[in-house]
Parts: sequence; structure tokens; C-alpha cells
Amino acid sequence: MADTTVARSAPRSTRSGGPSGRTRPRRPSGRRTLTAYLFLAPFLILFLVFVVAPAIWGIWISLHSWNPLLPIHPFIGLSNYINLFTPGSLTSGDFWLSMGATAIFTVFSVPFLVAIPLLVAVLLNQRLRGGTVFRAIFFAPYVLGVAVIGVVWRYLLDPQNGVINNLLDGLGITQNFPWTVDVPWAWISLVGVTVWWISGFNMVSLLAGLKGINAELYEAAGIDGAGAIRKFWSVTLPGLRPVMAFVTTTTILSSANMFGQSYLLTKGAPGHATRTAIMYIADEGLSQNQMGAASAMSYVLFAVLAIISIINFRLQSRTSGD
Amino acid sequence: MKKGFARRAIAATVALGLGMTLAACSSGGGGGGGTAVQSGDYKGPKVTVTFWNGWTGGDQQTILKKLVSQFNSSHKNITINPVELQWADISAKMPLAIKAGKGPDVTVAHGDDIATYAAQGLLVKSDAIIKDLGYTASDFPPGLFEHGAYQGAQYGIPWSVTPLGLYVNKSVLQKAGISPTDTPADKATYLSDLQKLKSKGIQGEWVDGYVFTGTFEFESLLWQYGGDLFNKDVSKATFNSPAGVQALTWMVDLVKQGYSPGKVAQDGNINALIAGKNAFNWNGIWQTSNTALLKDQWAAAPVPQIGSQKAVWSSSTDWAFVNNKGQDKNKTQAAAVFVKWMNEHSTVWAGGGELPAANKVRNAASLASQYPNLKPFLGELQYAHFETTAPGIPNAEATITTAVNEAVLQKKSPKQALDDAASQADKLLAQNKQQYGG
Repeated sequence: MADTTVARSAPRSTRSGGPSGRTRPRRPSGRRTLTAYLFLAPFLILFLVFVVAPAIWGIWISLHSWNPLLPIHPFIGLSNYINLFTPGSLTSGDFWLSMGATAIFTVFSVPFLVAIPLLVAVLLNQRLRGGTVFRAIFFAPYVLGVAVIGVVWRYLLDPQNGVINNLLDGLGITQNFPWTVDVPWAWISLVGVTVWWISGFNMVSLLAGLKGINAELYEAAGIDGAGAIRKFWSVTLPGLRPVMAFVTTTTILSSANMFGQSYLLTKGAPGHATRTAIMYIADEGLSQNQMGAASAMSYVLFAVLAIISIINFRLQSRTSGD
Repeated sequence: MKKGFARRAIAATVALGLGMTLAACSSGGGGGGGTAVQSGDYKGPKVTVTFWNGWTGGDQQTILKKLVSQFNSSHKNITINPVELQWADISAKMPLAIKAGKGPDVTVAHGDDIATYAAQGLLVKSDAIIKDLGYTASDFPPGLFEHGAYQGAQYGIPWSVTPLGLYVNKSVLQKAGISPTDTPADKATYLSDLQKLKSKGIQGEWVDGYVFTGTFEFESLLWQYGGDLFNKDVSKATFNSPAGVQALTWMVDLVKQGYSPGKVAQDGNINALIAGKNAFNWNGIWQTSNTALLKDQWAAAPVPQIGSQKAVWSSSTDWAFVNNKGQDKNKTQAAAVFVKWMNEHSTVWAGGGELPAANKVRNAASLASQYPNLKPFLGELQYAHFETTAPGIPNAEATITTAVNEAVLQKKSPKQALDDAASQADKLLAQNKQQYGG
């Protein structure tokens, strides 16, 4: 119960009030609230203008046949949504294919994106010689933009002229794997490139979490006769729980929003097998100018992600509750 | 991934929000009256003409800038102000800019964009201008001028054409004992060349399933077998006709017979030609300006005739006068003078890997002697097919690439892939008709 939470990186007690909080007790709470709101205002305004307003506007758009190039946008009620759930309609086949591709990518990338950084973080937490250098090396790819990694890996992974197949050739594997052209190899490339790219960020978050675990707990576990593996399961993992919740949630969401890798590496091929939901939505809205249908798709994707996030949070809080 | 997307999403949201505001302020633009240009030169007051184009780099940008400054120095009362934007940005930005009266006075557009622009009322109906400039259909390759028309009015004036051709690596041909000057022109020779190459362990033509250039090859073959992409009024896809199935089967068979590897990446084939790994590549005339080709002995030839008649895919670019809110007629008039002058001086445009559309310029002996690499493409224009003219057509055309990709990777049979794509294309065509009318 409560004693397991000791290991949690204790949240710095948020300094309630301000410097003036002590001299004037209680009375001016109205003014203090106002001050707080004033400090929050810049973010609140940005949030309202760039998140809330477009979100509401998006619902409105999704109820129309909305071609931004044309002056008239007829109201069509829920048709855009109904089409998505009507087999054989213009959008349903492609949309659910892209949702399936997103699901495949998320299911295969998230475990690696959590497990590998965790392993690396635990290793780097051992006060190794040169640990900082390794940390920098693992983090480095994350600094690059998706355009850069996309172009670089497309060269490396090209089935006929790429470096990787040439290296394999040298090792006697002459199959010329279609890394960017056909499934399942395309999925291996997409997941592999993403793990290489993003792991550094998760690693740094987890490492910070590891630093927050009280060293005395390891000592106590050692006295009780726990070995390295037992310490990992009984001290490290429970201690990392809040950080893990953050890492898994953001990783699931960012994997579900994958766009650039498919767009640059595979172009959605073969057929549309690796075209993710975001890629299809972007194409539908921005290239085909069907903003209404694209907005409806965004909301369906949003609903699915919201449900997954809620389940995820429930699971995490249940395990930390016992 | 999330980073990049978030940036894009914010940009899109902002653009969208802006768009809504602007769109709300304007009522839909009409077709425009059609300004007449006085014959001869522009005599009005001094004007600055804004000219949007998509040539953002390379030889083409250099050549264009040279031409513009030449024009500006020889025309005292006209200043052309060229603005380079990505092609996709032009189609995205022009509608809003025009409604705000801040669009260009003249633009260059790809052949399949003209109708989309015209349907939105973005362009000036240019029949009167064109008549004054003295252009008729016979000044351009057959079928090209008509593609600049929409609903009975002419909007586009052809500027350049870019047909597909057959690129040949001569040293590879020699390795297989084929005379490097004997480029194959018919099905029998093509197949026997591929067979000779195969016996030397060389896969002669690499078939890819991407727009560049598997789709262009498929469309060329479709026309060669007597088919067409869409029906007359562009309400139904017809690329899944028996001709289409034959065309795509030919491409897939190249893979099945071992003349081509099965899973070629985009541009994998031209890169392999440059690296001396294959002998033939169906590719656009723009590759003539690819300096990487100079690493090996190469030549270009007309695409071989595989089907029952000669045909080849070609793209085009057209001039179009823009119907800004409150468009200054003097500027349109000056722009017309500029267009005519450019077409008359377009010989140098061949240096950028595109053929000038104006027959008089293109067929002059000086062009072929100055740009010998482009010579094989000249004859192709007698039987070239240009883009389909219909508003919003690129979305229906994109389904063809999906079919070619699925068939070449042998995910579906050619017929199945084309049928699936055609049924999707039909739905898109219906949507386009409903949204753009016509």
C-alpha cells in the first residue's frame, strides 16, 4: 500500500502560495486565485485558440461535405461518419485498412520502444565508465527530424541498391530483402527505424526515473538476500511505475500517430498496406481536399485512442493500487 | 514521429483556420469576362506582372530566370516578377490568394490542374486573348491544346511537354551481344533483347509499382493496346478494360519471366541503369538532364510498340491567366505579351529536360542540333496522350498507381487489381462531379 509509494520519486512539495503567502494568511485568496489565473492565461489562451477552438470547428466541418477549394460546403449531417461504418463506401475500406496498419505498427513497436530503453537505462544507471558518452550516443538519433531519418534509411534500406542488402550480400545472404517495398519486411523496417529513432527519448525519461529511486531500498533488498534480478522486479519496476505510465502512454499515442516513416520510407506500399491512419487522413484532407471526411476520420481515431488511453491508465492505476 | 506530425497538424490547422476566414469573406469567383489583348505589343501604363511557377531549382530555374530578365530588359513598360513555389503549394495557395486579390497575374500549371482551377473560377476565360495572340490548336502537338479547355472555354496555353521514353544503357547491351545502336522499337525485338540479356544474367528492364514510372509505363501500354483511362465525359474509369489487363499483364509477366526483379523500389530502375545493372528503363524526358547518366554510355529512344498501336504517356505544363478579385486588365494584357514572347523564345527550355510545346520552336532544326539527346522524343508527340481534363482528377488517377503496385508485387492479379481500383475511381469521379459540377 502506502509504503510501496516511498520508492516513487517523491513529488517536490509544490510551494503553495507565493513568497507573499505567509505574510498575508487566508484573506486575499480571491486575489491570489486571480494571480494564478493570470499566470495561466498565456497557456490557456494558446490552448483555447489552437486546441479547443479547432477541435470544435473540426466537429462542425465533419458534418459537411467540405472541399476548401469550393465556396459552398453543403451540410450532410452524420454522413461522413456513417460512410466510415458502411462497407463498400468511398472511404470505409481505405480508412479501416489504415487503422489496421496503425494497429499493427503500434502493437509491434510499443513493446520494443519500452523494453529496449528500459534495458539500456538500467545498464547506464550502473555508473559505468563512459556512461555519459553512451547516453549521448543513444539519445542522438532523437535529435534528428523525421525527414532526415526517412531519407537516410531509404538509402540504406533500398532493396536493390541499398547498403544493408549489399552488406548482407557480402555475408552470403543474397535474397535482396524488399525492406521498403513489401510486407512483412516493410513493417520490420518501420518498427526498427522507429525504435532506433525514439528509444533515446524513452531511455532518458526512464533513466531520470531510475535516479529517483532511493538507493537505500536496494541496500535493504540486498540485506534481505535479493539478487540483481529480484531487485529489478521488486525495487526498480515498482519504483519506476509513474515514469513507466508516462512512457507507455506517450509511446502508444505517438506510435498510433505515426506518419513520417511510412510516408518517406514505404509510401504506404505495397498497395496501401503500410499507410497509417494519419497518413490517410492527411491525404484525404490536404491532397484530396475532403476536409469533412478527414475530420470525421480524425474523430473516430481520436475516440479509439481515448478508449485505449483510458484502459491503459486504469491498468496502470490498478497495479499501483495493490 | 509525434514531433513532426504535431508541427504539420498545427500548420494545417492554422492554414485551415485562415482559409475559413478568407473563404467566408468572399463569394465564389465567376468565370471572368475575358479580356481582349490588342494585337501587337502592350501599350498601356507601366505594370508589374506577378508570375507563379513551380520550377524551384536546377537548370529550369536558371533558364527561367534568364528568360525573364531578358524579357524585362526588352520591354520597358512591363516588369515580370517571378515567384517560385512548390507545385503542390501553388494549388493549395492560389485559391485563397486569388479570392483575396493577391494571387499571381499569370501562372504555369500542370495539364491535369487546369480544369480543377477553371471549375473553381480561378482562371480567366482566355478565348479572346488566345485569338488575339493568334494561337490555334495546330500550333501545338495533336491533342494538347484541347486539354487546356474546360466546358467549352479555353483556359490553358501550352508551354512544355514531357513524354516518356526508353532509356538504354549501351554498355550493358554490348555485354549481351546486342548492337548498342539497335534500340528495340517493337515487341519481338524487345523480348528477344530481354532474353539475350537474361542469358547473360542481366535483368533487362526493372518494373516498379510507383507513379515514377510504373504508372506512366502502364498508361502508355494501355493506350498501345487501344484502351483509355476514362470514358469520354470522365464519369467512369475504363482502365480495367481488356486493354488495361493486357497492359498490366505484360508488366507483371516481365517479373514472372525473370526479366525484372520482383520488388523494385521507386527510382530503383533508373539508378540501376546508371549503375549498369539493367539495360532498359521507361522514364520521362526530364532524365535527359540527369548528369548521373553521364557515368555510362546511354541513349534515349522512343518507347517500343508493345501493343497494337503506337502510344506514349506525356505530361504537359500550360500558361493560365489568373482571375484575381479586381484583376487589373492591363496586367492580364501584359502577361499575354509575356506568354507569347516566352513561347517564341522557348528553345533554351529544352536544356532543362522538357520540350517546348510550340511546334514552330520545337520542330526547328536548331533545337535538335543543340539538344541531340532530346531528338528521339520529338517524333513521339505525334501519338502522345496527355493528361485527362476534369476537375479533381488527380484523386482518381492515384488509384491506378495502387493497382499497378499491387499487381507488380503480385498481391493481386492484374485484372483484380484494376477492377478494384476502377470501382474506387468511379466513386471518386462521382464525388468530383458532385462537388465541382460539370
